[in-house]
Amino acid sequence: MRTARLYLRLLGAHFRSLLEYETDFLILAGATVLMQVVNIVFLAALFAKVPVLNGWTFWSVLMMFGAVALAEGVGSLFFDGMWNLAWHINRGELDYYLVRPYPVALQVSSAALGINGLSNIVTGSLMIGAGLAHSAVDWTPWRVGLAVLLLISSVVIKVSINLATNAVCFWLSSPSPMFAFAMHQVGDLARFPLSIYPLALKAVLGVALPFAFISYFPIAYLLDTGPSRWLGLLTPLAAVYCAGVAALVFQRGLRRYESAGN
Amino acid sequence: MRSYRALARAAARAALAYRLSLLLGMGAVLVQLVALLAVWRVVLAQSPINGFTWPQMRAYLLVAFAAGIVVSILGDFRMAYRILDGDVALDLVKPVDYQKARFAESLGGLWIELALIGVVVGVTLAFTGGVDLPAGAGAALFVASMLLLVPLKFLIVYVSTLACFWTQNFMGVQWARLAVVNLLSGALIPLVYLPHWLATAAQWSPFAGLTSTPALIFLGRVDAGEGLLLVAVQLGWVLVLWFGARLVWRAALRRLTVNGG
Repeated sequence: MRTARLYLRLLGAHFRSLLEYETDFLILAGATVLMQVVNIVFLAALFAKVPVLNGWTFWSVLMMFGAVALAEGVGSLFFDGMWNLAWHINRGELDYYLVRPYPVALQVSSAALGINGLSNIVTGSLMIGAGLAHSAVDWTPWRVGLAVLLLISSVVIKVSINLATNAVCFWLSSPSPMFAFAMHQVGDLARFPLSIYPLALKAVLGVALPFAFISYFPIAYLLDTGPSRWLGLLTPLAAVYCAGVAALVFQRGLRRYESAGN
Repeated sequence: MRSYRALARAAARAALAYRLSLLLGMGAVLVQLVALLAVWRVVLAQSPINGFTWPQMRAYLLVAFAAGIVVSILGDFRMAYRILDGDVALDLVKPVDYQKARFAESLGGLWIELALIGVVVGVTLAFTGGVDLPAGAGAALFVASMLLLVPLKFLIVYVSTLACFWTQNFMGVQWARLAVVNLLSGALIPLVYLPHWLATAAQWSPFAGLTSTPALIFLGRVDAGEGLLLVAVQLGWVLVLWFGARLVWRAALRRLTVNGG
C-alpha cells in the first residue's frame, strides 16, 4: 500500500511539472488522437469492401486496435520512465536509485510520465467500448468480472514486456532504447487477428513475445470467435509469467550495472 | 559542391557506425509491411477488390515499403535536437546553405537504404512469389517518380522539423506527420479504397507522391498520360516545397534564441 502511495507521489511530481507546458500536452494529445483516427479510417475503408477478415468483423478488429492502444496508454502514462532506463545505464546514473529505500524498477518506471498515454487510454477505451456495444456478448456478473480480469492482465503483459525489453539495455549498453522500441513496434502486429499470420509469426506473438495475449486471445474468448478461443482464459497466467520474467531480467541486469563513479 | 559531398559521406559513415540502430529504426515500416501483406493475402484470396489482385497488392505494398525506407536514415531526429539544443547556431556559421546541407546528408545514406530495400524485397518475393515489372514508358515514369520521391520526402520531413523553432515538442509533430503521411500517401491503404472526397484531396496533396504515384505507375494502373500528370504534380510540389521551405526557414531564424555559446 505504501509502495503504491509513494509511486503516485513520485508520478505526481512529474505531472505537476508537465502542467507547466500546456501546449506540449495539446500537441501530444492531438498527435496520438490523430494516429488513432487514421487507424479507424483505415479499418473502415478496408471493411467497407470486405465484411469479415478470417471471421473477424470491423467491430472486433477495432476492439483489438483499442486493446493495444489502451495497454500502450497505461504503459506511457504510469510507467514511461522505463524508456529512459537505457540512458540512465549508459550515463551510469542509476546510483541514486540504488541507495533509496524503494524498489529500483519502480523508481525507474516512475521517473517520467507520458501524458500522451492519457489520450491513448481514452481513445483505446472508446474503441473497445464501441466494439463491445456492437457485439452480442451475453453479460452475466461472472463475465463482467472475467472481462475486467482479462483487461488488467492485458495491461500487465504490455508493461512487463516494456520492462523486460528495456532491461535488455543492461547488456546492450546502447544509450537509446532501440531494442525495446523495435519490440514495441512488433507488438503492433497484434492489432490484427493472429490467425492471418504464418506459423512462425504466430509462435513469436503467442509465445516468445506474447503480444497476442494483450488483444487477440482475450478478445477471441470474450467474443467467442475464431479457433482456439479458450486460450484467452490463459491471459492471467500469461500476465503472471510475463511479470515474473520481466522482474527476473531486471534483477539479473541490475547485477551487471556498473556505476560511472559519482 | 565539395563540401556537400563531404557532408553526404559523413552522414553515410555515421549511419554505418550505428548499424544496429539503423536496422531497428526500420522497424515501423517493416512491421507495417508484414501486417498489411498478411491482411491482404487473406482478403484478396477469394477475388480481387477495387481491381487489386493479390500479386498486384503485394507489388503495391513492396513499392510502399521502398518509399517508406528511402530518406529515413538519421534525418529528422538529429536536426530536431540540434535546433532544440541550440547547436544549430554552429550550422549557421558554416559557409554552406543550411537546406542544401541537410539535403546532401539525406542523399548520403541513400545507397545504404537501397541495399536494405533490396534485401527485404528479395526475401519477400522469395517467400510470396514474383511481381510483374513495368515496361517501356511505365518503367521510365516509375524511375522518374522514385527519383522525385527523394527530394519530396526530404522536404516534407525538413519543413515539419522546422516546427522545432516554434515548439519544444518534436515528438508530437513527428507523430502527427507520420500519421497524416501514412494515410494520405496511400502507404496504409491504396487511395481508391478511401471515400471519394478524401481520395481526391489526397491525390492532389504532396503526400500522394510519397507512395501512391510511384506504386500506381509500377502496377500500370494509370496510362502514360495520367502517369505523366501524376509525376508532374510530384515535380510541382518539390518546387513549391523547396522554395516554401526557404520562407519558413527565414521566419524560423527570427525565432531562434541560443543561450551562450
